[in-house]
Amino acid sequence: MVPVNTVLRRRRQELILGGALLVVLAVLPLAISSDYLRGLIVLTLLYAGLSQGWNILGGYCGQISLGHGLYFGIGAYVSTVLYVDYAIPPTLGLFAGAALAGLAALLVGWPCFRLSGHYYAIATLVMGLIALLLVNNWDFVNAARGITIPFRHQSWVALEFRFPNFPFQYVMLAYAALAWIIAWIVEGSRWGFVWRAVKDDAVAARSLGVRIFPSKMAAAAISGAVVGVGGALYAQYVGFIDPDSGLGLSLSVLIALPAVVGGVGTLWGPLLGAAVLIPVQQLSGAWLGGAGNGVDLMFYGALIVALALLRPQGLVSLFARRPAKAAEEAHAG
Amino acid sequence: MTASLVLQVAIGGLLMGLVYALVAAGLSLIFGLMDVVNFAHGQLLMLAMYAVFEFHTLLGLDPLVQLPLVAALLFVLGVAIYRGLIARALAVRFNTGMVQIFVTFGLSIFLVGFAQLVFGTDFRSVNSGLLFGRTVAIGQIVLPLPQIAAGLVCLLAFAALMLIARTEFGRALEATREDRDAVALIGIDRNRIFSLGWGIGAATVGIAGVMLASFYYISPTVGDSFALIAYVTVALGGFGSLIGALIAGLLIGLTEAMTALVIDPSLKQIGVFMIYVLVLMVRPRGLFGRL
Amino acid sequence: MSGIKRRQILASAPLGLAGAALAGTALAPRNAAAAEKEVLIGCVYPLSGPAAQVGHDAQAALQVMADIVNGNHAIPMLMGKGGGIAGLGGAKIKLIFADSQNNPQIAQSETQRLITQQKVVAIVGSYTSATAVTISQVCNRYQVPYISAENSAPSLSEQGLTWFFRPSPTDNDFSQAMFDFLEAHAKETGKPIKSVAIIHENSVFGSDSARIQTGLAKKAGIKVAADISYQASTPSLQVEVERLRAANADVVLPSSYTSDAILMVRTMHDLGYKPKAILAQDAGFIDPTFLKAVGPLAEGVMSRSSFSIDAVKSRPAIPAVNAMYKAANGNKDLNDLTSREVTALQVLADALNRAKSTNNMALRTALRETDIPGDQTIMPWKGIKFDKTGQNIEGNPVIMQYQKGEWHTIFPVDVATATVEGSF
Repeated sequence: MVPVNTVLRRRRQELILGGALLVVLAVLPLAISSDYLRGLIVLTLLYAGLSQGWNILGGYCGQISLGHGLYFGIGAYVSTVLYVDYAIPPTLGLFAGAALAGLAALLVGWPCFRLSGHYYAIATLVMGLIALLLVNNWDFVNAARGITIPFRHQSWVALEFRFPNFPFQYVMLAYAALAWIIAWIVEGSRWGFVWRAVKDDAVAARSLGVRIFPSKMAAAAISGAVVGVGGALYAQYVGFIDPDSGLGLSLSVLIALPAVVGGVGTLWGPLLGAAVLIPVQQLSGAWLGGAGNGVDLMFYGALIVALALLRPQGLVSLFARRPAKAAEEAHAG
Repeated sequence: MTASLVLQVAIGGLLMGLVYALVAAGLSLIFGLMDVVNFAHGQLLMLAMYAVFEFHTLLGLDPLVQLPLVAALLFVLGVAIYRGLIARALAVRFNTGMVQIFVTFGLSIFLVGFAQLVFGTDFRSVNSGLLFGRTVAIGQIVLPLPQIAAGLVCLLAFAALMLIARTEFGRALEATREDRDAVALIGIDRNRIFSLGWGIGAATVGIAGVMLASFYYISPTVGDSFALIAYVTVALGGFGSLIGALIAGLLIGLTEAMTALVIDPSLKQIGVFMIYVLVLMVRPRGLFGRL
Repeated sequence: MSGIKRRQILASAPLGLAGAALAGTALAPRNAAAAEKEVLIGCVYPLSGPAAQVGHDAQAALQVMADIVNGNHAIPMLMGKGGGIAGLGGAKIKLIFADSQNNPQIAQSETQRLITQQKVVAIVGSYTSATAVTISQVCNRYQVPYISAENSAPSLSEQGLTWFFRPSPTDNDFSQAMFDFLEAHAKETGKPIKSVAIIHENSVFGSDSARIQTGLAKKAGIKVAADISYQASTPSLQVEVERLRAANADVVLPSSYTSDAILMVRTMHDLGYKPKAILAQDAGFIDPTFLKAVGPLAEGVMSRSSFSIDAVKSRPAIPAVNAMYKAANGNKDLNDLTSREVTALQVLADALNRAKSTNNMALRTALRETDIPGDQTIMPWKGIKFDKTGQNIEGNPVIMQYQKGEWHTIFPVDVATATVEGSF
């Protein structure tokens, strides 16, 4: 057991570090004049937030979900339909999207949490695919055609901008910060303690009287809701949502990947992972993809393999002051 | 809807189900052995199909003749993937489960890019051979010979896999599965067993690929839809169970065909997924899963 | 790998590197001097994933047209003289390709990159409708013309965008032509078409096409005996084919991409089902890879098209352009998609030539004033002239039939080069 005041001190340091980073990231856009680089920052921050959301269930709680595209899609579709069909601005719609995404996560969690390991991963993957197939055939949300959000006027309430890259840097920064602070709070909460205990030794935790199922459901709901908010913001940023881009299988993996590469179950992992992966993915696509010979895919695939093998505990371990100590802490109940 | 139509569709679905089952068998075998889900499984299938196409085009070899050749090739590839990547992923001390998922996932992206580089993006297909375009008519039911052959070969492959499970190697395999560390004490080289497991798993997919190539098109992304079904098949049948993969494959082929016939072809996968979800509610470890 | 592809790798890689390092502003004036040596044009296509093959064909087709403008091939069509763009002092066209991965968000950011980093004067794209939506919106925001080469969803030109130009006919026109053909054919043979069976993949292309066809069939008093939708890249089409057989319609109307078209025709053959007639909504069925994959099974298949490869009498440029394309892309013939890509770049080159400037406003004005007679293109159209929405009002589709290993135009009668084969 690590002394309580050490933990408190560490958590306070993390909060200070987070605040400092927030300030740096808030100033950074002012120094960048390239609209393309702004777009990269927008995407990086979006995936940092999404992956942080995934991390709450996949990392802290140890449930490797391959179906988070579902919650992303629900957030995106709910806020878009509310805006396009009912004129409810996405700044409100995203709450509805988050709520429904959280609810969906509970519905998926209820049957799936009885499954262990790979059964759970495959089951979540299938849940995502069921949603994809249904939306593909659902005319109310325009089925496979998708929904276009036309640009009408400059508005912060509707998150509509003639040139969205600059303002959306701040929108996504707010989102990533929100996801981070939620992760920070749950990490220190009773749930966070339970999740770590369950992850380390479910049998022992149960015998100590820990009620596992409700704590997993809580993780699912929070995780789904955070990802749902990201989906709503994504739809508004891109101005278009269709089943493939909003619910696809590859999206589910993309949401999980930054946390895995950066460090699962850590506060900084998703952010670090997104900061490395998203620019690499986008830039390798831009530089090598134009040739269309598959070299960009080979490069990206090899990078994922290399990072997973060389840094299994995530890139975040590069910054750990005392790696052995940190690992010990992570394993301490 | 006539009885012969229903029968025709059902038999067609079952024949397809045998192919699904064989694709899933390799995945299940590897999982049962070492708890690794291979997310590059569909890409192994794709590479096998390209091998058939290239041997057919360059050497004029009939797909059927290529069976041992492609199976051997995939065996070597499987062993290489184990030695090069999976053994390393298993040796990792942190997040082992996650590392192996994303190592094989990265490999799948790499292999798709590789196929695009080497084989290009044009759709290919094998347009001649002993089986090509032949049909067998039984009363009002017309069945394509390539699919009948595929079904038979898949059954034979299953029989072979089950025989392997009864050999000394099979027992070593079983022992390794039960207790990875203890087997070392009785002189079984775990690494060698795992390599062989990967080799056999990949060769199984290779056989499925050969049979598929005689009636299906080939492209760098052809493995995706089959891999997806394979994951569901394995989870439905139970990870690690060969008989589970066979039964689940047949069930999925039949469900898919019947959903398409009775409800709507664009919803046929929904039918499959619904069966899967229902089974998981009752049996969380699938029909025959023990692990 | 063709020479073209290798050149593109060499050309695009270092430029991209330099581009990303440079910082450019969104609204930087783009009225560089008219005497510049190169005009950069961005091309956004799916170059990886299931639709990659179409993207690769587009690369080759667009590069052929660029070579025609830049080189010295003396092709008998507008901008075919060569020697660069005369109105810009002989400036050469340089194409910069980007991979959309068939994803609307990546199409969006790649278009942004081409516009803001590479400073392209216009964008050509993009094959799929979902990517066309985001590309056309980005172009409108940055005020850069988007020449939609082969996106056929009617809704694209109904978005109220003022930088959108589409030389190609839309799905409305295409489906209308198919039913016009059926009506004319019935009149000629005296055998009315009583029923059609629609089979389509369930993404945008297929479901839109099916919706329009169902409406037109109702209007023409033709029964829709079956309306079958399936998931693209499905592992099996057996049941779908069985349902087609059960429907036993006079004409089967498929809307399918290449992979499914191959599987469908092979499955029909394997199950011993021969439809009375197949009249395809283009796409997979006119793909040379489809023909290569199914060989003689394609005999008698009809498809709507916007290109008649055999219209050499009225379109003298076709043989030379086709020969160049064949040499560049694995001996494939030009088809409905690649011909429209060639034409899209031709329209753009002509507008640049008349604008005498790469300034975006001047270029848009020139595009709006486009008036190219049909015989100056390789297309069987009356001509190219845009309405207020940027839609070409003089593009008329044709119906082709695959006869004895070649495509022949069978409708409308005034451009037909062969008569319909088969009895339906």
